[in-house]
Amino acid sequence: MAANVVTVNRDLKPGVLPILRGFWLIFQNFAQTLFAGKAATIQYPEEKRMVSTRYRGIHILTQREDGTPKCVACYMCATVCPAECIFIESAERPERSIEKYPTRFEIDLLRCVYCGFCVDACPEEAIIMSRENDLVGTSREELVIDRDQLMARGRIVAHGAGYRPQDHDLRRPVRIAALERLKTEHGIVPKMPELSPVPESVAPPTPLTTRKLGESEKP
Amino acid sequence: MPKCTIDGREIEVKAGTTVIQAAEQLGIRIPRFCWHPDLPVDGNCRMCLVEIEKQAKLQIACNTQVADGMVVHTESPKAAEAHRTTLEFLLINHPIDCPVCDQAGECYLQDQYMDHGLYGSKVQLEDKVRKRKVVDLGPIMLDAERCVLCSRCIRFEREVTGTNLFEFVNRGDHVSIATFENRPITHEYAGNLADVCPVGALLSHDFRFKMRVWFLKGHESICPGCSTGCNIYVDERDGEVHRLRPRRNVDVNRSWMCDPGRTSFRQVGLETRIPGAYVKGATEFAGVPLPEAFDRVAQALREAGSASAFLATPQASNEDLFAFRELADAVGGMLDFRVGDPQLLVRQRLDNILQRRDRNPNTQGCLDQALGRDGVAAILSACAAGKVGALLLQGPELLAQAQAVEALAKVPFVAVMASHDAPGLEHAHVVLPAAVWAETEGTFTNYQRRVQRFRRAVLPAGDAQARWELAASLLERLGKPLAASSPREVFALASASVADYAGLDYRAIGPLGRQLTPAPAEADDRGTAQQAHI
Repeated sequence: MAANVVTVNRDLKPGVLPILRGFWLIFQNFAQTLFAGKAATIQYPEEKRMVSTRYRGIHILTQREDGTPKCVACYMCATVCPAECIFIESAERPERSIEKYPTRFEIDLLRCVYCGFCVDACPEEAIIMSRENDLVGTSREELVIDRDQLMARGRIVAHGAGYRPQDHDLRRPVRIAALERLKTEHGIVPKMPELSPVPESVAPPTPLTTRKLGESEKP
Repeated sequence: MPKCTIDGREIEVKAGTTVIQAAEQLGIRIPRFCWHPDLPVDGNCRMCLVEIEKQAKLQIACNTQVADGMVVHTESPKAAEAHRTTLEFLLINHPIDCPVCDQAGECYLQDQYMDHGLYGSKVQLEDKVRKRKVVDLGPIMLDAERCVLCSRCIRFEREVTGTNLFEFVNRGDHVSIATFENRPITHEYAGNLADVCPVGALLSHDFRFKMRVWFLKGHESICPGCSTGCNIYVDERDGEVHRLRPRRNVDVNRSWMCDPGRTSFRQVGLETRIPGAYVKGATEFAGVPLPEAFDRVAQALREAGSASAFLATPQASNEDLFAFRELADAVGGMLDFRVGDPQLLVRQRLDNILQRRDRNPNTQGCLDQALGRDGVAAILSACAAGKVGALLLQGPELLAQAQAVEALAKVPFVAVMASHDAPGLEHAHVVLPAAVWAETEGTFTNYQRRVQRFRRAVLPAGDAQARWELAASLLERLGKPLAASSPREVFALASASVADYAGLDYRAIGPLGRQLTPAPAEADDRGTAQQAHI
């Protein structure tokens, strides 16, 4: 906390000098914007701001190698969802090793509060979030997106994957709640497996840099 | 009467009571897999170990009888350690595929792991012994990997159905349950196997992957499938019924229920449901508002007066029957209910377990309320002779009978309360939409003369109303309104008018029903062969 505290010197005597310093700052920004092209603002929506890899945007359903959904329709996301915006219907998969898959998987994006609990609760890493945050539609029905749209999102997404916690990530809210319950109700503090190092591919980029749409994300 | 102390609480029990039963009476749940209240004790799972003072070793609560002065600890450190280690053994080869397992949410392994286990696993998933999964046994899916070898299914097959289909095969780590040559289960009590299985080894094919159980809300009800009147729960989510499962009642169905009964919930959401009132025009039926239909029926009944006839249905609840009888008395017409003679079948067994030949839940209620007055044959011959001006049917049974068609054609006005589109419905002039049993509240009287209460689980389809409400609306239009506005009040009126029901109300009936006196003779309802089993 202490590191973020900014000390402001309020003992400056009133006079012309502080005003001139202010003007100098304004002039600096003006010159940089005009001649150096370093604007603080961006040309949205042609240009989009880069957000954190932990950003919780529109969901993605991940796929197996054969293109079928990774989801096994366990309903954990629908159970934990505080907005009750996930609708699932399940059926039996032909291959018996997996048994179950969703025939219907819909998310009402207008109802969703983007809390990321569904991602936390998923035992298969079948639902993750993208960094896509511009949600535009011309009707409410259009923004209830179905299984195939959710799966296709993984390929077309411009911003790359967003919130995608690792197993045993202590920052997962669902896990924090479960651990808290174990501790208060049963007095048990389970031993945690060590956190595996974050793979380079999902290392967060420099936050708040801007880049043009279509540019590939820097690894 | 031995007295014992369990977890510091004293209880006096009948001689021969086991520790686990005594604990149940106190509301203490000792963890268990193999013990089931309606199956013989086996004592193989070792999950219910408890510490008993002055005994060197821990004892299994399910097979230890309470002795006078016994002091039992179910949660002492020694017992808790035993629960934890037993669970760890049981879970060694468990596949932990809870995400795709339908038992999740009502699984003893899950519940008891959260209550008593909570250890980190020492076995890697790859090291587990693999067994057969997704074996289709007809109405049941077998997953041998999930099995904890409690033998409940084996004992159910041996003691209840007597079919002995399941057996343990192989030895050691590789023991699993199986049917001979994977033969499918053919008896009509297979659903109970999924119920008795404490884990996800045996699951209902019908309910498979339909819904996660924690979304379902159970409503206490009575199975409408036959005159046995099994106590059940109607499991519903957002107004859609997903399954029926048995509710324990030692005097009626114990913990069991038949498969035909389990499927009876399908009638609730069928597309053939009648959502509103219909009146026959020149060629075909036209939907009309309910009040208009009531007006027409009331008008016809008023005009016909004593030249009217009423046929009740044993599908209806006691409340429906009472209101219908009031209506018949108010108009003064002929009254009966015995279409197809259900009263002869009411106590006849279909098999040696639960099912009875009479497929109506409330034939005994009709008999108790003396609805069999004039005889169906007499009513039909009066119809054929043109002496009946208006006929009101509480159910569509008569319309389906081929021999009745000719007589019905002579009746100028036929009204029927129907829940579904049924064969013969085209003979009616007015169709009133009736709610099915799961959509109403009321009581059924079963073959034993046990009055049992069922509750509303879902809202009626469309404009449908309970049959007593339909009758009450007609009574109101005839100027003799029913002095009741809820099933509870209708039942109070009924109990005041039927001698045997005197003093009964919903509170007195309670969750498990109330046996009327005199009970029907034992001889005509029980087969002698397997009496001990149910």
